[in-house]
Amino acid sequence: MTYIRWFDEVRAGDRPTVGGKCASLGELISAGIAVPQGFAVTVDAYAAHCAGFRDRLAGAAPGDAGALVRAAAMPAQVEAEVRAAYADLCRHEGRADLPVAVRSSAVAEDGDAASFAGQQETYLWTVGADDVVARVRDCWASLYTPQAVAYRARLPEERAAEATRIAVGVQAMVDATVSGVAFTVSPRTGDRSVVAVNASWGLGQAVVSGEVTPDEFWLSKAGPTLTARTVAHKARECRPAPDGRGVVTVDVPVERRDAATLDGERLRALASLAMRVEEHYGCPQDIEWALDASGRFLVLQSRPETTWRARQAARAARPANAFLNLVHTIGTQR
Amino acid sequence: MTSTAPRFPDPYAIPTPPGADGWEEMYPYYNRFLESRRELDSQRTWFLNSMHFPEPMPPFDIVTSDSAFMSVGVMNSRVFALPPALGLDVRVLNGYVYMSSNGVEDPEEIGRRAQEFGVRAGHYYQNWPDLYAAWETKVRAQIAALKAIEIPDLGDLEPRDRVLAARGIASSNDLLVAYQRILASLDAAWNLHSELLNLGYAAYLNFLMLCKGHFPEITDQAVAKMVSGVDVLLFRPDDELKKLAALAVELGVADRIIAGEDPGPEWLAAYAESAEPWFHFSYGNGFYHHHRSWSDDPSFPLAMIGEYAQRLRKGEDLSRPLAAVSAERDAVVERYRGLIDTGEGRQAFDEALGLSRVVFPYVENHNFFIEHWYMTVFWNKMRSLGELFVRHGFFDAVDDLFFLRRAEVGDALVDLQMAWCAGGRPHGPDHWPAIVRQRRETYAALARWSPPPALGPAPGQIVEPMTIMLWGITDEQVAGWLAAQEGTGTVRTLRGFAGSPGVAEGRARVVLRPADLSTVEDGEILVAPITSPSWTPVFARIKGAVSDIGGIMCHAAIVSREYGLPAVVGTGTGTSTIRTGQMIRVDGDTGAVTLLDD
Repeated sequence: MTYIRWFDEVRAGDRPTVGGKCASLGELISAGIAVPQGFAVTVDAYAAHCAGFRDRLAGAAPGDAGALVRAAAMPAQVEAEVRAAYADLCRHEGRADLPVAVRSSAVAEDGDAASFAGQQETYLWTVGADDVVARVRDCWASLYTPQAVAYRARLPEERAAEATRIAVGVQAMVDATVSGVAFTVSPRTGDRSVVAVNASWGLGQAVVSGEVTPDEFWLSKAGPTLTARTVAHKARECRPAPDGRGVVTVDVPVERRDAATLDGERLRALASLAMRVEEHYGCPQDIEWALDASGRFLVLQSRPETTWRARQAARAARPANAFLNLVHTIGTQR
Repeated sequence: MTSTAPRFPDPYAIPTPPGADGWEEMYPYYNRFLESRRELDSQRTWFLNSMHFPEPMPPFDIVTSDSAFMSVGVMNSRVFALPPALGLDVRVLNGYVYMSSNGVEDPEEIGRRAQEFGVRAGHYYQNWPDLYAAWETKVRAQIAALKAIEIPDLGDLEPRDRVLAARGIASSNDLLVAYQRILASLDAAWNLHSELLNLGYAAYLNFLMLCKGHFPEITDQAVAKMVSGVDVLLFRPDDELKKLAALAVELGVADRIIAGEDPGPEWLAAYAESAEPWFHFSYGNGFYHHHRSWSDDPSFPLAMIGEYAQRLRKGEDLSRPLAAVSAERDAVVERYRGLIDTGEGRQAFDEALGLSRVVFPYVENHNFFIEHWYMTVFWNKMRSLGELFVRHGFFDAVDDLFFLRRAEVGDALVDLQMAWCAGGRPHGPDHWPAIVRQRRETYAALARWSPPPALGPAPGQIVEPMTIMLWGITDEQVAGWLAAQEGTGTVRTLRGFAGSPGVAEGRARVVLRPADLSTVEDGEILVAPITSPSWTPVFARIKGAVSDIGGIMCHAAIVSREYGLPAVVGTGTGTSTIRTGQMIRVDGDTGAVTLLDD
């Protein structure tokens, strides 16, 4: 295949070909971390797609450019490879018409800022090869939303050019029984010995949309050991729609509403997983995870958590207590 | 002080519990809230010391509070010159012990003391292992000397040989000297108890605060785990029981022990060897005359030997996984150390941890030597004095002695001396029995009363680390007490320290005194004011533990972790809120105890 790279065959160095998001997932897989399987539609695929109308694209107004990208037929080889890869993925996951997430994977280093600018789309619960092909094109077209164009206009020329290089990731959706986020640094104090976990029933969207207050768990990395737990009342949960396209929000059965989503053993497993991700990247991470029906934790996404780095560095090496300083000095002098 | 500032009850406004009128006469004037000092004493904050004195004090037993507070105080204030902290003043209210700390505020004075402290404490830190070894020798000598004190018999005539040897001094004088020696020995033993203690705690605290600087959310449990020794004396008595159980199985005498029959000389010899000194292990905390030890009442150790023997015969491995504990400790250290970014930070961490580990064997082990071993011998020596008084008709029971104040025991002794010398009849038999009877009733009334956790004006922010560390008194705790006295709502959840991880549900068994330990059944959750390390074997039966009092170094937590049982310690009101038989949930991960039924 020319335009497809499977996640488990890419590494961080493949960013120019598969974009940051896909490269990062490949890294996680190489570190032995369970990630839903999927493939990248490479930067070259997008380049091939635009090859026939590159000049028109450069001159077009933002709205027109997007329409241009969306209207153009995908090059036959690209489309064939996307369909073949999707079929492989369905076979691999053991399910025809596998629901997948289709999302942009930017090459530029400032991918996060770019996503705020709306040039990185995510289409969850996409089902069937036709829709996958259409959503891949939609991701490409998202480079030309007004916000994305405005964003690139502020960049130096070289970086603006780089910001138009885009890959697309196609990844199996996880039918999660529990999902949430894990921080490998305390969002309260920046304490790096802490793993903080939010979790709710079903798919992660209920929490993101603010419809549900998640359970909150705090662990110490030593062990790891659970140190605090707040079990919330969780009346609603997101589930995959019966036809696999999209999600529905339903009532949580009464007996599960006030129950803890994760027990001590699962929490320790999740914290260990989060710590492996952090160790792999060498800095604190903000991790989206899901627990699948077989009881396996999967990492959906991991981003560096940078808020606390500066404050951590500023922290004194010794306590600011005159008496204890004296004890330390006289107790450890040779 | 405005009238709206938060306050705990005024010590001068607390009523006498019903049936306890005249309780004041059981305690010396220097321990009481005197009317003549109302101005001074009602302005101070007083904390209940329920950690060491969870029960009201019998009149004689106040000697333990006197000596313990004096020795902690003198080491801080005058021996090592701790720059910011002196000792504690002590008051007894309705039989319960309250304390209020004295500090140094003047920066110049703090500076002067810091210089002295550097020289004095520096010497101790640098020579710690040698000084600790010497300490153990001093304590053993103290125990031997106490044992050697003879209470004279005061028979009909002086022994003839003494007269022929022209001794000149009579047995009545020996009696006076013996009592004075016993009291002096107690005071000396408590000086030794405190000699290294606060230096040890300060070194530990230095490491604790350093850890909290890097890791604001680190638990005390995790810090303790990094410092704790793997093999501490606390577990030695329990290990001896297991050893004796193994020997009983080997010799085929386990069933005889279980049936209460003679197991034969070989096993008894081994028992005697273990018992000295390891079964001088108090059922309580050693501060009360009625906290007997395994050596006084072997029913509990014998029952546990039987239980262990049965488990051994089922093929169970009773040994503690020392290698695993040690590996876990190393892993925790590496985990935290690895999260410190700078080399300088890691060096300070290593230094502070190193110092803590040097001092910690003393912190962990002193308890066995003083509270358990020494105090067992002390109470028994006082009991033999009690026997003398019983023989001379002063008391009906040996323990009646402990319902006299120390000065009154001195008076009774002079009474006995005078009558014996004069060949007359002492006043005591006509004087004391009625008083002791009355005091026992008063004491029972005081025991039914619940003392407030603090008295006087609420303190400002508590920052002094030793207070937090030694007494577990924090701003949150004070706020909780203040809220509790407002009586906000019915209690369904108690909060304490997460002592040992895990969650357990079960029926509660409230055990207020060691004598009730035998009521604990398999699978229950133990709820106790404190737990003594001598209760360790009962942890083999229970599913979880809850204590009123306890913090970082609390036995319940250490033992629970060892047994892998969930424990919540320091709930404050566990024993008064929870009833035996109630279903409760102990969450040792988060420090919560939930009452599941009414």
